[in-house]
Amino acid sequence: MLDMKAISKVYQTEMVQTHALRDFNLHVAEGEFVAVTGPSGSGKTTFLNIAGMLEPFSGGQYCLDGVDIGKLNDNARADLRNQKIGFIFQGFNLIPDLNLYENVEVPLRYRGIKSAERKRRVEECLELVGLAGRAKHLPQQLSGGQQQRVAIARALAGRPRFLLADEPTGNLDSLMARQVMELLEQINREGATIVMVTHDPELARRAPRNIQIVDGRVTDFTLYQGRSAATPLAAGG
Amino acid sequence: MFIHYIDLAWRSLRQTPLVTFLMILAIAIGIGVTMTTLSVYHMMSMDPIPHKSDRLFSVQLQTMDDGETWRTPDDIPYQLTYTDAINLDALPGEYLRAPMLRSGFSVHLNTVSSKPFIENTRVTGRDFFTMFDLTFLHGNAWTEEQERDAAPVVVIDEEMAKQLFGKTDVVGESVFLGERRQEIVGVTKKWRPTIKFYDLNNGSFGEAERMFAPFSHVKAYDVDTWGNTNAWKFEETRDFNDKMNSEMVWVQFWVQLDTPQQHQAYGDMLMAYMQQQQKLGRFNRESLQYSLQDVNDWMRYNDVISEDNKILVGLSFMFLAVCVANILGLLLAKFMRRAPDVGVRRALGASKRQVFYQHLVEVGVLGLLGGGLGVLFAQLGLLGVSQTYDYYAGLANMDWIMLMSAPLLAISACILAGLYPAWLVCRTTPATHLKVQ
Repeated sequence: MLDMKAISKVYQTEMVQTHALRDFNLHVAEGEFVAVTGPSGSGKTTFLNIAGMLEPFSGGQYCLDGVDIGKLNDNARADLRNQKIGFIFQGFNLIPDLNLYENVEVPLRYRGIKSAERKRRVEECLELVGLAGRAKHLPQQLSGGQQQRVAIARALAGRPRFLLADEPTGNLDSLMARQVMELLEQINREGATIVMVTHDPELARRAPRNIQIVDGRVTDFTLYQGRSAATPLAAGG
Repeated sequence: MFIHYIDLAWRSLRQTPLVTFLMILAIAIGIGVTMTTLSVYHMMSMDPIPHKSDRLFSVQLQTMDDGETWRTPDDIPYQLTYTDAINLDALPGEYLRAPMLRSGFSVHLNTVSSKPFIENTRVTGRDFFTMFDLTFLHGNAWTEEQERDAAPVVVIDEEMAKQLFGKTDVVGESVFLGERRQEIVGVTKKWRPTIKFYDLNNGSFGEAERMFAPFSHVKAYDVDTWGNTNAWKFEETRDFNDKMNSEMVWVQFWVQLDTPQQHQAYGDMLMAYMQQQQKLGRFNRESLQYSLQDVNDWMRYNDVISEDNKILVGLSFMFLAVCVANILGLLLAKFMRRAPDVGVRRALGASKRQVFYQHLVEVGVLGLLGGGLGVLFAQLGLLGVSQTYDYYAGLANMDWIMLMSAPLLAISACILAGLYPAWLVCRTTPATHLKVQ
């Protein structure tokens, strides 16, 4: 599903050059649930942004589902992102002017899905996260946990094969965190590939496969056999 | 998606009411000022008789001796001598023709209750009404016989008929021009071309006359012009008869030539006429010259639209540019503040192009609202112009072309202002915005 070879990312300012990722190699197979851990500033979010094509990389090769991302223009990347990737952000990133229904509908609109189908999918996803009754609420009228569930519903509405989650429970209390994690596990069991960045070792251990990033490189990976519905033994460098 | 973009635009505009109000006000003022000047310019430059302007020709003859110059681009006087007007009127041929001049009279009904008033009068040939599309409500133009015999007849318009008699069907009634009693033979519908193109001597935008008298009255009743009389050489003129026989130019002459063949034949006839006049001692020139200019050429030739008007339109567009620059600044601030939302949309699959269109639709909606208010401001501006200058009264209004143009101009101006902010907000890397959430 995801194949990164010798990926590097350099942030350049007038004064200093920062290597966020260097010689970064990782392969994630279809259906895997991978937790990415590492200290602050190690390059986890940069990796996630590059994986989600939210920012360009400086060198190396990145293939997503067999497509060489480096050869795509911006529109093609936006299309691919819309078709295959779902995002769950730590800060929820819901659009404040739109109600829950409209927030979940956003990726479907960009995909050009017809109104009736959009309605069906949005209602289905809100039902899944237990917020069907709040479709007309604005994000600021919900708790943090509820907002994160809306973000998950939005990520799922497009039926992505690849879900990227950046600290999905970072702003939630432990009860809410557990609920969100259970939801992600359920989604993974249904076939979606998930890459989740987290600081929480306990949460990471719930994922069948862990990788650690230090100084922009993958330094370790651990496989917890038997955790996932699909557990291929893919390894990163 | 377009409807969705309009919905988003409307929400966005409502979210920041003060900024939205300022932007709408800025574009409305710019459009108001621009459309005021542009409407006057448009009315000045529009074809006053579009369906036949290319078939009506003003006739000019180069009557001056060699070496004499005139203030026209081709040195030919604007008007004709009375002699030439009478002679051209008598030329053979099946085409409409009208010698004419502006005169005027004290008009009354010779009754105790009738209050006399001064009225401009077009003294002209009977073809005038057909050539310039005047419509008769009652009666008709005077007959050829009445024209030839200088019969005491006039044609008036409905407005004047109501003013004098309180009704329009006044054919057969009498009206007094000074001491002379005239019979009304026809009543026309009100006729007020925006540009007085058939006589540009005393202002291009003056009101058309409401009363018409046969051209033969000039000689029969010594009817002098109230317009311009120009001389290019010294001639002693002790009475009106001397003036009629002089080389002074004071009569306008129009012909309607429907085909190129007629145009050619008429030109040949004018050359033959001048050659014949040369033998009588007039047209002392090496080369003979005439000019036939259709309505639009005639207006250009007479500088109907002055340079001042063009400069004014230019300045109003510069003012609009200042308004656009202000809107650009406000849009830049507004759009950049919304960059995090754009980052989310980009992450969820919106392409740069979609984000760009979304923002352009928003500025388009802004332009539409500003354009609507701008039309109101322009109406106020035009009202001010017409109240301040009577001369512009007929021109200071917006026709449907201008009404349609105002929102289009406003939308275009706003889109122009929004291009850079929209481009800026759509090209930033989505991750940059997401980090700030």
